Amino acid sequence: MNAPDRKVKLTPTTKSDRGVGARMPLVDGIEKVTGTARYTADLPANGALVGKILRSTYAHAELLEVDISEALKVPGVRAVVTGSDCDVPYGVIPIAQNEFPLARGRIRYIGEPVAAVAAVDEATANLALSRIRLRVRELPAYFKATDARVADAVLLHENKAGNIERAVHNEFGDTAAGFAAADLIREESYECAEVHHAMMEPNAAIASYDPERGHLTLWSVTQVPYYVHLTVAQCLKMEAAHIRVIKPFVGGGFGHRVEPLNFEVIVSLLARAARGTVRLLMTREEAFLTHRGRPETQIRIKLGLKRDGRMTACEAEVVQRGGAYGGYGLVTILYSGALLNGLYDLPAVKYDGYRVYSNTPPCGAMRGHGTVNIRFAFESLLDTMAAELGIDPIAIRRKNLLQAPTETINGLKVMSYGLGDCLDWVERASGWKERKGKLGRQGNIGKGLGMACSHFVSGSAKPVHFTGQPHATIALRLDFDGGITILTGAADIGQGSSTIITQIVTEVLGVDHRRLRLIANDSAITPKDNGSYSSRVTFMVGNAAADAAQNLKTLLVAAAARRLKVTEAEVEWYGEGAAIAADPDQQVAFEDIAEEALVGVGMLTVNGTFTCPIEFQGGKQRGGAVGSTMGFSYAAQAIEVSVDLDLGKIAIDKVWCAIDCGFAINPMSVEGQVQGAIWMGMGQAMSEETVYENGRHKAVNFMDYGVPTIIDSPDIEVHIVESMDPNGPFGAKEASEGPLSGFMSALAAAVEEATGHRFRMLPITPEKIFAVRQEQLAAAANEVTSQ
Amino acid sequence: MNALPEFHYLRPATAADAVRMHAASPASHYIAGGTDLMPNLRRGLVTIGAAIDLGGVKELGEIVEQGNTLRIGSGVSLAQIAAHPVVQARLPAVAQAALGVAGPTHRAAATLGGNLCLDTRCNYYNQSEAWRAGNNYCMKRDGEGCRVAKKSKRCYAAFSGDVAPALIALGAEVEILGTEGVRRQPLLELYRDDGMKWLTLAPGELLVAVQVSLDDAWVSAYEKVRMRGAIDFPLAGVAVALRREKGVLTGLRIACTGVASQPIAIDGLDAVLGRPLDAAALATISEQADLANRSMKTTLVDALYRRGVSLVLAKRLTQRLWDAAV
Amino acid sequence: MKTMLRLSVNGKPREDAVAENALLIDYLRDALALTGTKQGCDGGECGACTVLVDGQPRLACSTLAHSVAGREVETVESLSQEGNISRLQRSFHENLGAQCGFCTPGMIMAAEALLRVNPKPDRDQIRAALAGNLCRCTGYVKIVDSVEAACGREHAL
Repeated sequence: MNAPDRKVKLTPTTKSDRGVGARMPLVDGIEKVTGTARYTADLPANGALVGKILRSTYAHAELLEVDISEALKVPGVRAVVTGSDCDVPYGVIPIAQNEFPLARGRIRYIGEPVAAVAAVDEATANLALSRIRLRVRELPAYFKATDARVADAVLLHENKAGNIERAVHNEFGDTAAGFAAADLIREESYECAEVHHAMMEPNAAIASYDPERGHLTLWSVTQVPYYVHLTVAQCLKMEAAHIRVIKPFVGGGFGHRVEPLNFEVIVSLLARAARGTVRLLMTREEAFLTHRGRPETQIRIKLGLKRDGRMTACEAEVVQRGGAYGGYGLVTILYSGALLNGLYDLPAVKYDGYRVYSNTPPCGAMRGHGTVNIRFAFESLLDTMAAELGIDPIAIRRKNLLQAPTETINGLKVMSYGLGDCLDWVERASGWKERKGKLGRQGNIGKGLGMACSHFVSGSAKPVHFTGQPHATIALRLDFDGGITILTGAADIGQGSSTIITQIVTEVLGVDHRRLRLIANDSAITPKDNGSYSSRVTFMVGNAAADAAQNLKTLLVAAAARRLKVTEAEVEWYGEGAAIAADPDQQVAFEDIAEEALVGVGMLTVNGTFTCPIEFQGGKQRGGAVGSTMGFSYAAQAIEVSVDLDLGKIAIDKVWCAIDCGFAINPMSVEGQVQGAIWMGMGQAMSEETVYENGRHKAVNFMDYGVPTIIDSPDIEVHIVESMDPNGPFGAKEASEGPLSGFMSALAAAVEEATGHRFRMLPITPEKIFAVRQEQLAAAANEVTSQ
Repeated sequence: MNALPEFHYLRPATAADAVRMHAASPASHYIAGGTDLMPNLRRGLVTIGAAIDLGGVKELGEIVEQGNTLRIGSGVSLAQIAAHPVVQARLPAVAQAALGVAGPTHRAAATLGGNLCLDTRCNYYNQSEAWRAGNNYCMKRDGEGCRVAKKSKRCYAAFSGDVAPALIALGAEVEILGTEGVRRQPLLELYRDDGMKWLTLAPGELLVAVQVSLDDAWVSAYEKVRMRGAIDFPLAGVAVALRREKGVLTGLRIACTGVASQPIAIDGLDAVLGRPLDAAALATISEQADLANRSMKTTLVDALYRRGVSLVLAKRLTQRLWDAAV
Repeated sequence: MKTMLRLSVNGKPREDAVAENALLIDYLRDALALTGTKQGCDGGECGACTVLVDGQPRLACSTLAHSVAGREVETVESLSQEGNISRLQRSFHENLGAQCGFCTPGMIMAAEALLRVNPKPDRDQIRAALAGNLCRCTGYVKIVDSVEAACGREHAL
């Protein structure tokens, strides 16, 4: 045998530098920096057919006929599919499935897939697409929520009167009494443009159909392979058991890929029709048309405050232009109301939300799902009212802190709460006390500081699908080689979930991290996971990983005890081995323990699970389950800006953010997530917006859709506050969504200090600042004239 | 996944060969850095029978100081121009303009000639084939009518090169090679205010070099406004060249980009000469810049903003140069 | 039509029959299986395809393959030599300069071009050199950190 010398003297495990709390590089980082990481478009696809999608150029029309006869005649075309090839609607929310992968009977937005082709090469596929003829009867189309809601508007979906997909009305606490008790009540309106995820990897999928066995294998860019799996089975009317879904490396998602997407079904339909393998690589433009981003939102919000700054009541009306299909929309409109709570001690909230259908690409989940625009409005109004009361923005937030553990008026449990510490740090780090309001102007440069708070769930306590299964399941496999393979369905899309899981398993087992391998997202191998959405993975899969590791450790300790011929209680676990506690020289190495553990049973596969206890799944009252989670992350941030008052250009000089993520399993990863979230908020606040003209998206590329460049991007200093959540794995909560939603109002506040004007509309672009400055200068000139 | 239409690839060794190749196949297109042409080819905005790659023509790639003149070959990259010590020291507007183009990776490939001949831009034009087909194209390519100005008989696509206004403000001339030989003309005359035919070059003519005088009595600067700090084309770009002698403004030339289908030189500035720069002079500059501005809604950013900031830049740069040129 | 293309890719001479209208990115990815070079946009807007041509950063998506005849093309795959990843790659790895990793090869190649001419850039110089490369995950902070650390500079944050 070439086995290593096992006589090495073991010492009690010191804390692993790869366990929890370590600034560990990504477990799949080497592949990423060397270019060997294979994303979907990088997978070998020799002989694969080329898939292409024909998209609607009509915003709203009855689809009378799709004539593919000429396309089928093009030599080299192997399959053409249309809406008649799939009559099963799909959608991420089981009760709101109203989308077909290829339009049937009705086209509802420009860019909606109508037909698709598989051909021997790209030129042939393009030629075939150009031969497809549509016969339509155009219908009135609605591109704004207000237009879609007019009394005689044609309904996009017959069962949704007024084109309202979902109206939400609820009240928690007594808002009338709250406003009656208030010393100051103000009401304002806010507007946020629609934004898009713009993940760097364009959409891509490969489907391979084995006609002999009737099996389909799908590789896709998804954040939730499980939903894709179910959806493909449903739409193709196949047994789920005959389908295998694999997620290769994925170049970001930010919510774009939490829903099963039309192209994933389309490529599967094509592969089955062509009886082979089809590769569908989509353009950047097609990602903008697939969309699923944050909706254009109008908000009317009213807040009551006591003279000392205490909140008494809040009332909000939110209208979201949801696009043509349901998607995740009803969750977005519900979250916007429910997550008004959970950040501050807010005694009464009345919420009216309207999710409206429109002839634009469907909106969906995007980082900070549902919380972002309403947080912009709330924090902005709070700032304005604080100023009116003569209270400092940080001071007024301190006045309204929660005390954990507690339960909000809508039944959300807050078990850990470090927002006060976050505020303290941001105040110190930004020099707030000395500098706020005193930065002044330097020539044509206006300076300003602004701040805000925000929060987000660590996973939705109510899963999208009710199955009775745990919220998360993970498996550890140990075989003859002594290697431990972590099997997980949690989708690492760049956020680093595989790394976090590995650190947790390393920590619990205490083994050398090189003993661990992680395999994720192959439905034939890895356990089902509910996916990478709502910041659930660290909390839920992390807990499941710790559970699995503990279960494996129990078996290993028992095996060690057998080898050492002592009871389990007498075993001291060293990670890479074990010893008799009372006689540390009596040792057994990990390999021998593994060998012993396998005696009589063979390969070990140990499960770990996590289930949110029912008491965390929300109150019984109407709307009470919405937003329920086991732990909220908290963030406070301050922003310093310089505004060129003549050109209207904002420069972000610096951002300070403190994040209460419970416990930082990987502090470097937490910093990276916080920086990314804040920066994405910056894009929405300053330069990003989708632009439709008669339903045609005019910003479908990276020239017109303003993803900030490195030049526009400031240094972002991150401070981690560890409130040690009682239920999170090692105390951890989420870190990657909460910080986003504070940016917009913090920016608005900083720009107000710099320009004297409070913007209540996003994005705050140079042209808007310029227009305001022109008005200010004209008003000043008038004043001079009239004196 | 990027199947381009079929075309031949030609690689001449001399400028004369390039011109001959073009004459032999009139549907061909010169290509240098490719940073503008290639994305346009991918979108079906250009149809070419052959790509005549100028990358192998050494004579186009030189910067030569000839007495009081700097001759910059059209094949010199924007990165080289921005880093050239003589350009930096004596033609700062040109260095700043070159440095302001797109991003560093673009500038390493993009050439002076490519930037001067840059295709005009419009949000309805710089879109994919599928996008434009869905919008029934427009007169600039494959269709009829203008999507920016519905009743217009002309195309308003905006010239968006950064370097042209800097060179125009400095009075540069261009050398153009055709089958009949070389001709020279002021750079400004290379352009006309037509989004579809913005260049006055005859078919097959090749821009060979730019000559600009190194007159240290003139100081210059270029600044642009764009949405982001890199990659973007100018929403408005302004170059100013100014001469201050004995406390008096004795020369002022201002040129703009991004605000019309051609780079524009602002007229009527003689009125401010012969006296110190004061508020009245700045007001005149602003009025003249406003008169010359023909911004249309060719970008997602409002034309009023582009107009407004071009006036701000004209005044700001003039003031800055005046103050510095004591 | 295909014609012969002679060039050097990652230090090795090559001679391939390549279509006259082929883009460099498609030649690298499809013909040579060098899939480290990514395509993130529809042409010239994101920098994910950045490679080096004679040491200069170039967008492989906007470059005709034949236009680099006779020249030295370097992709991200060239940086790891004899089993060792480069200092830039190590620094991006250890400082979390890569999250999803899709922009990373282009980002590293743009940084590589910078460090060859400026071995000790400051943060502004790093930002200027990477200005054509979009990233959607990191907010760029740890990318700047990574380049800084690769050349031995302390983070000046």
